[in-house]
Amino acid sequence: MSKSKTKTPSSPTLKDWEKQASRELKGKATSSIHWKTTEEIEIKPLYTAEDLEKLGYTETLSGFSPFTRGPRATMYAGRPWTIRQYAGFSTAEESNSFYRKNLAAGQKGLSVAFDLATHRGYDSDHKRVVGDVGKAGVAIDSVEDMKILFDQIPLDQMSVSMTMNGAVLPILAAYVVAAEEQGVKQEQLSGTIQNDILKEFMVRNTYIYPPAASMRIVGDIIEHTSAHMPRYNSVSISGYHIQEAGATAVQELAFTLGNGLEYVRTAINRGMTIDSFAPRLSFFFGVGMNFYMEIAKLRAARFLWANLIKQFNPKKEQSAMLRTHCQTSGWSLTEQDPFNNIVRTTIEALAATLGGTQSLHTNAFDEALGLPTETSARVALNTQLILQEEAGIPHVVDPFGGSYFMESLTSSLIEEATKLLDEIEKIGGMTKAVESGIPKQRIEASAARRQALIDHGEEVIVGVNKYQVENAEPVEVREIDNSAVRKAQIQRLKKIKKNRDSNKVDTALNAISNAAENGEGNLLDLSIEAIRLRATVGEISAAMEKIWGRYNAPIHSISGVYAKSFPDQKEIKQVRDEINDFAKKAGRRPRIMVAKMGQDGHDRGAKVIATAFADLGFDVDIAPLFQTPEEVVKQAIENDVHVIGISSQAAGHKTLIKLLMEILKKENSEDIVVVAGGVIPPQDYDFLKDLGVACIFGPGTPIPGAAREVLAAIANKV
Amino acid sequence: MAQNKLPAKADIIQGNRRAIAKAITLLESTRPESFKHGQVLLESLLPHAGKALRIGITGVPGVGKSTFIEAIGLFLIEQGHRVAVLAVDPSSQLTGGSIMGDKTRMNELAQHPDAFIRPSPSSGILGGVARKTRETMLICEAAGYDVVIVETVGVGQSETMVDSMVDLFLLLMLPNAGDELQGIKKGVLELADLVVVNKSDGKQESQAKNAQSEYSKALHLLPSSKNSWTPQILRCSALEKRGMDKIWEAAKSFRETLLISGEWEKQRRKQTGKWMWSLVEEGLLINFRNHPNLQQQISELEKAVETGNLLPTTAAIKLLKSWQTQSK
Repeated sequence: MSKSKTKTPSSPTLKDWEKQASRELKGKATSSIHWKTTEEIEIKPLYTAEDLEKLGYTETLSGFSPFTRGPRATMYAGRPWTIRQYAGFSTAEESNSFYRKNLAAGQKGLSVAFDLATHRGYDSDHKRVVGDVGKAGVAIDSVEDMKILFDQIPLDQMSVSMTMNGAVLPILAAYVVAAEEQGVKQEQLSGTIQNDILKEFMVRNTYIYPPAASMRIVGDIIEHTSAHMPRYNSVSISGYHIQEAGATAVQELAFTLGNGLEYVRTAINRGMTIDSFAPRLSFFFGVGMNFYMEIAKLRAARFLWANLIKQFNPKKEQSAMLRTHCQTSGWSLTEQDPFNNIVRTTIEALAATLGGTQSLHTNAFDEALGLPTETSARVALNTQLILQEEAGIPHVVDPFGGSYFMESLTSSLIEEATKLLDEIEKIGGMTKAVESGIPKQRIEASAARRQALIDHGEEVIVGVNKYQVENAEPVEVREIDNSAVRKAQIQRLKKIKKNRDSNKVDTALNAISNAAENGEGNLLDLSIEAIRLRATVGEISAAMEKIWGRYNAPIHSISGVYAKSFPDQKEIKQVRDEINDFAKKAGRRPRIMVAKMGQDGHDRGAKVIATAFADLGFDVDIAPLFQTPEEVVKQAIENDVHVIGISSQAAGHKTLIKLLMEILKKENSEDIVVVAGGVIPPQDYDFLKDLGVACIFGPGTPIPGAAREVLAAIANKV
Repeated sequence: MAQNKLPAKADIIQGNRRAIAKAITLLESTRPESFKHGQVLLESLLPHAGKALRIGITGVPGVGKSTFIEAIGLFLIEQGHRVAVLAVDPSSQLTGGSIMGDKTRMNELAQHPDAFIRPSPSSGILGGVARKTRETMLICEAAGYDVVIVETVGVGQSETMVDSMVDLFLLLMLPNAGDELQGIKKGVLELADLVVVNKSDGKQESQAKNAQSEYSKALHLLPSSKNSWTPQILRCSALEKRGMDKIWEAAKSFRETLLISGEWEKQRRKQTGKWMWSLVEEGLLINFRNHPNLQQQISELEKAVETGNLLPTTAAIKLLKSWQTQSK
C-alpha cells in the first residue's frame, strides 16, 4: 500500500491545503464550509487517503460478500440495468397498449401501477371508490381484466413487477391465472410482487387488514412462491415510499432493512430455511436529489443487508445479496417550471446507476401535475437509454469504489443506520416499532423539518423558492375520464358474474374465509383457485375482511417541529399574531379539518399541513383516511370547523370535490370554506374555483403564506 | 351568512347536527357575547337534558380506550341508542393550536349517523375544561343522545373531575395485571364502578382471565365508598368487539340498583352542587385575571415572583387584597 508518508518531500501536505483553503476563505477555518446533511452527517470539502486509513478501509470486489460494490461481478459491463417503467392508468386495454408501445421503444421490463380501488381490495362497483377507479393506476377487478392487461405480452419472457400490497392475494393470483390461460406455467414466471405490508402501515396506507393478519399473507406468499415460482421475487422491501414520506437516507435504510428482517423472521418461524427464500427477496429504494448520499445509500444498503443476514447462517451467497430496483423521486418533482424535472430525474437516475441498482424507473417530468402523457413518458424512458447508450455509464463497475469521499460517506451511513437498527431491535423489531408509531413519527418530524427549511428558502428548489418564472407556459397533462372507466368496469363485472358458476365461487370464497379464520392452508393457493372460477378481487378481499375486519392504522400527530425548524422566527410570530387576533375576535382559533377523500392514502402532505398549521395557531382536526365526501361533511359539521382542507395526490379531486361541494350545499353548510392542495393540474384550477373552492395550493406553496390565505378566506365568509 | 346566526333551541332538540355543533362552539367561545348566548341557550335546553346515561371512561395510554369506545358505541347504536362521545384532555398546554385526531381512532363510529363525536381543542377556552365538558354533555342530551361517553386521557386528576359529572365510571385495564396496578393510582380504582379488562383475545385471553381474578381480589380490599353498588370486574375484546353485551348488562343493573336505592338522584344532585361551585370558582378566576385595574399589578408581581425577588405567598396576598378593594 502506498501511504501518504511515502510521498516526496515536495508534495503538499494536508496542512498546506488547510492553509491555502483558509486563504481562499478569507481567513475562515475550513470547518466553516462543512456541510451538514439532513441526516446530520457532516461532510468536509476535501477527503484524502487519510480518511480511508482512519476507517480501516479494506477493499472488496463486486459479486462477493458484502456486495458493497455490487451484487454481480460484471454489473452493467456485462448487462445494463433493466429499464422498468412503472405505469398503469384507466382500463386494462389502455394500459396494455401503453405497455406495448413502451416495449417497442426499448423498455425491458413491465411494472404495473394499479388504481387505488384495486389496492384497497374494492371492485370498481363499490360505493367507496367512485372517485378512484382508473385514476393513478389501472383498474383490475378480475382475471379477465388481467388477461387484457397482458394481451400479446408473453409472460414467460417478460419480467413483470407489480406494486401491490393490500389486495396482494387476488392480484398475484390473477396474474398467475392470466399466465396459465396464456399457456405459461408458474415456474416460468419472473418478476416481483411488492408485498411489503409493513411500510404501508408506516407511510403509504394501502393496507386492508390488521398487521398480524397481513403478515400471515406475506408468509403465505413467500411459502407459495418459494415452492412454485423459483424465478419470482416474493417481496420487494421498499424504502421508496419511506423516502417519499420525508425520511432521511438513514431512516430509509434502517426502516427498510428492519422491515426486511421482519419478513425473514416470519418465513423462518414457519420453518423455512434462509436459503429457500432469501435469494428471492428484493429491494426497492427511492433516489432523490441528494446526489452523493443516494449513491452511498445503495452501497451501504448492500453492506448492511449482507451483515444482517449472516445471523441466519446462509449457505448460499445469494441469500445475503441485496438486489434492488430504484425509482427517481416523485417528491422532488415540481409543479412550477416543470421542465426542470427532466434535469432532476436525470441526476437522480445517474445516482441510482452509479450506486448500482438492478433496475430503474425514471419519472416523467409532468408527474407533479398529473398523469404522464405519451411525450413525457418517452422522455423519461429516453433518459435511461441515453445514460446507457450515449454516456457510457455501464462500462465500469462501481466507479465510485475506493473514492476517499464516497467510502467515507458510505461508512458514515452504515454507522448511523446501524444505530437506528439497533434501536428498532431493542423495541422488538419493526412490527412492534410500527405498532408504537415511532418510525412514522420520526419520518413525519423529518418531513416537517424539511418543509420548514424549504418554505423559508434555506433549501433551494429552483423555480419554486428561487429563480421563479412568471407566466410559465402551460404543460399538457393526461386526462382520465374516471366515470367512463368506472362504467366500463362495472359492465365487465356484471358480465363475469353472470357467466360463472356462482355455487363454485361461493365454495371457493368460503374456503378462503375459513383459512383466514382457522389459520390453516395457504391463502394464495386458495385465491388462485377462486380466481380461476372468476371470483373478483373485491370478493376475495371481502372473504378475508369478513374474518379480520378492515384495519385503520392509528394516526399519531407531532407538534412543534415545523415552527421550531423554521429559520425565521419573526415570520412565524407574525402569522401567529394574526391568528391570535382572529381568535380574539371570533372567540376561538380558526379551525380546519384536514381530510383526504377516496382511497388515496398518501398522507405526507396532509400531515405536514396539519402539524404546521397547528404550530401556527390553527386548531386542526385530522379526518380519518379513506373517507367519502358525505363522511367528511358530517365530521366537519360536527366539529364546527371553519375550513375543510382537502389534500389530493391521486387525481380523484375533480369527482370528489364536486361531490363535497354539493353535499355542503345540501346540508346548508356552505359557510364552511373549502381549500385544496396536492397534485392538482393547473388546468383544473378554474373548474375547482367555479365550484367554490377558495384556495388551491400546489406543491411548493410555503405554508405560512398558505395559512394567511386560508385565514383571509375565513374572514371573507364570516 | 349562516355562521353568524345563533343555533335555535328547536333545531337542537330535533337533533340537527349543525345546530348542536354551533351550540357547543358557543359554550367554548372566548368571546363574552357568544359565551353569554351559549349560557342562555343552555338554560333553555336544561329541561330537555338529564335523561342520558353518562359514562366516564379512563385507562392508561395503550389500553385501547378509543377502540373500546368504538366497540361499545356501535353495540349501543345497534341496540337502538344514540351515542355522543366527548374527550377531555386537561393536561395539554400549547402555544399554538391543537391537533385533534379523535375521529381517526374511532372511524366506524364517527361515520355513523347515530353518533356524535366532538373533540375539543385544549387551549383558549374561557373557563375550565370541566364546565365546558359538562355543558356540552347537556346539549347532547337535549338533542336526544341517550348515552354520553366522556373519555379522559391519562391517569390522574382528570378522573376525579370526570367522576364528578358522570353516573358510571368505567376503568379499562390491560391484561398484564402486575404492571398495570402500579400505573393506576389507588384513588382511580376506588372511583371505578366497572373495571373492564380489555384485550381479552388471542394469546392474551388467559392473561386477561388471571387479571380479572387479581382485580377482584384487589377490589375486595377496597370496598366502594361511593355507593351501595359493588364494583364488577369484566373482560372484553374491543378489537374483536366481544363482551360488550355483558358490560351493558352490568351498566343497566348499576343504574337499576342506584335508582332503587335512591342514590342515583342523590349523586346527580350532589354533582349539580359541584357544578355550581366550579362555575363560581371559574367566574372568580376570570374576573380576577381580566380585571382591568389589576392587569399591571399582576404582570409586575408575576415577574417579581419568577425572578425570585418576591415570595409567592406575599404576592398572592397583595393581589387578593387589591382585588377585594377593587370589587367593593
